[in-house]
Amino acid sequence: MMIRFNFLDWVWLGLYLTLMTGCGLLFYRLGKRSEADFFLAGRGLPWWIPGISVYATHTATDTPMWVSGVIYKYGLRGLWYSFFSAWCAVAAFVSARIFRRSLAYSQAEWQSLRYGGLGGELLRGWMSGWGTFLNMFILGWVSMAMGKLCNYLFGWDNWVGLVIPSIIVAIYVLSAGYWGVVMADFQQGIIAFFIIVFASLWGVKAAGGPAGIITKLNTLGESWRLNPFHFSGFFGGDFPLAWFLTMIFIAVLGGFGMGTSIDWYAEAQRIQSSRTVRDAAYSIWWGTALTLTRNSFWAAAIIAFFVLYPHITDAQQYEMAWYRIAFEQIPAGLAGFLFAGIIAIHFSTISTHLNLGAVYLTRDIYHHYINPEASERRLVMAGRVATAILLLGSFIYGLMMEEITRWLIFALWIMGAGMWLPNILQVIWWRFNSWGYLSAWIANLGFSWLVVWILPAFGVIPELPDYLQFWALMVLTALVYIPVTLLTPPENKFHLAKYYAMTRPIGWWKPIKQEALRLGLIKEGGGR
Amino acid sequence: MKTKRFLGLRRDWGPEEAEAWTKEDWVAIIVSPLAYALLMIGLALFIFLRLDGLIIFLLGIIATIFLHFIIDPKLKAISSEYEKKQREYLNRLELVVRWREDE
Repeated sequence: MMIRFNFLDWVWLGLYLTLMTGCGLLFYRLGKRSEADFFLAGRGLPWWIPGISVYATHTATDTPMWVSGVIYKYGLRGLWYSFFSAWCAVAAFVSARIFRRSLAYSQAEWQSLRYGGLGGELLRGWMSGWGTFLNMFILGWVSMAMGKLCNYLFGWDNWVGLVIPSIIVAIYVLSAGYWGVVMADFQQGIIAFFIIVFASLWGVKAAGGPAGIITKLNTLGESWRLNPFHFSGFFGGDFPLAWFLTMIFIAVLGGFGMGTSIDWYAEAQRIQSSRTVRDAAYSIWWGTALTLTRNSFWAAAIIAFFVLYPHITDAQQYEMAWYRIAFEQIPAGLAGFLFAGIIAIHFSTISTHLNLGAVYLTRDIYHHYINPEASERRLVMAGRVATAILLLGSFIYGLMMEEITRWLIFALWIMGAGMWLPNILQVIWWRFNSWGYLSAWIANLGFSWLVVWILPAFGVIPELPDYLQFWALMVLTALVYIPVTLLTPPENKFHLAKYYAMTRPIGWWKPIKQEALRLGLIKEGGGR
Repeated sequence: MKTKRFLGLRRDWGPEEAEAWTKEDWVAIIVSPLAYALLMIGLALFIFLRLDGLIIFLLGIIATIFLHFIIDPKLKAISSEYEKKQREYLNRLELVVRWREDE
């Protein structure tokens, strides 16, 4: 598919790029005031600004491709794949509250508040290194998706879409930091949402409208595609109930923990930039509500695409479903408007990960380990240098992506499955200590290799579906970190009492509450 | 003093009482994912002008309103209380980052 822009299309695009970079640059003076401004907008934002940023960040160039893939394959059942983000439903009222009260800049910093001593420092160092790598990887991945999309739409070489948009984004991220990110996200999120709604409904209309689509689905014998609960059995088939129950379990209970979803880390920055605990809760609740309802519009358009092109078997083809129906059906003169929306979703994701990756390098590595006495001015400068490092690293990752994606997706998976429960335990159980958490990371790495690759390759166990891998890794990893936790000393009670007074965690914290009461850090009944 | 209640759930909080985890939090924790699921599925079906979609979507909106009705007073109370202590906690954070936590 090749798109040819007319004059009006270029006008839309030019206007949009000017609006967006200008909006980011406007906040230059605020961004350079301090480290807290450069990375958290001074912790003073009302909930609707980080809320739209949550939505904008989680709408990337490759997201409609991924949603197209699952909806084209599974019908409306595929919406449940996107329901993993429902961890925010619980996190908004549990872990976001605890994390916002900790005031930590990042998840890595939170580790040294929750755990003390050498273990806490080891975890902070590990988490900051992992966070930097992860953000660079996501930047490379998303940028490459943009490169491929530009190649698909305009025939440009992949590197053009990979490099040029990221450089434009870097202009306002380098100058205004998180102020630029979140303010640009605000208008990018609104523009992107309306364009997605408009293009999706237009696609539904072009495919015959709601009644026409239902009739065509019936004619094709595919009416099950409109049933979101069309399971293929409890364990068998392509959409088993066991998978669905596992997904609900992971998503909903994951909200009690921190880091139970890869999206937690970006959300953590939005939570911390909110002006109060209440704003933090609503920012992630409403940002995710927008994300899920956006998926509903996408799903309808992809079902519309299905009735137009029902027999595509090549995943690479049907993963472009939403882009195809949007660009093919949109009225003349609006292709530039649609492309501006795609640029918006791309820019918002890139800007977030540039700034978020720079938090770890600046706050957790430079400020904490290298130059603890650095002035605010120097820290802002370090933030800018870190942003530039992330940008260059993302180009290298992006260009390598074809070769490494399989390995890195595996890496992301193993970081998730066996770590899900430890990420919850560290929030809800006072006795869970840094050695237990560290051992969980190491055990998870080993068991993941065994369960996912090595044992199936040698025929020792069958290749398990992903939801069974999750249960297996959860149990096996627990066999290591629970004994390690119980056989090593608990965290220092004074350290934990200070953490308790600050964050008021949910769960099993009675001995620490008593210690905080004894020390006079809190009063009976809750207050201080 | 009598507290305001709705269906047995408390709707006014003193700043200190709001610090504890109570049944109002658990109601929010249960209703919140339900609201998400109803909104997502209801809207997708409603775009195809299906009546069941409209009903599910409306239930999602009602669940969302109920959720905020119950939890908002508590979140407001927590926020106002916590803001008073935030400066002190930020100072502690700066000591941690500068390796001076126990000085």
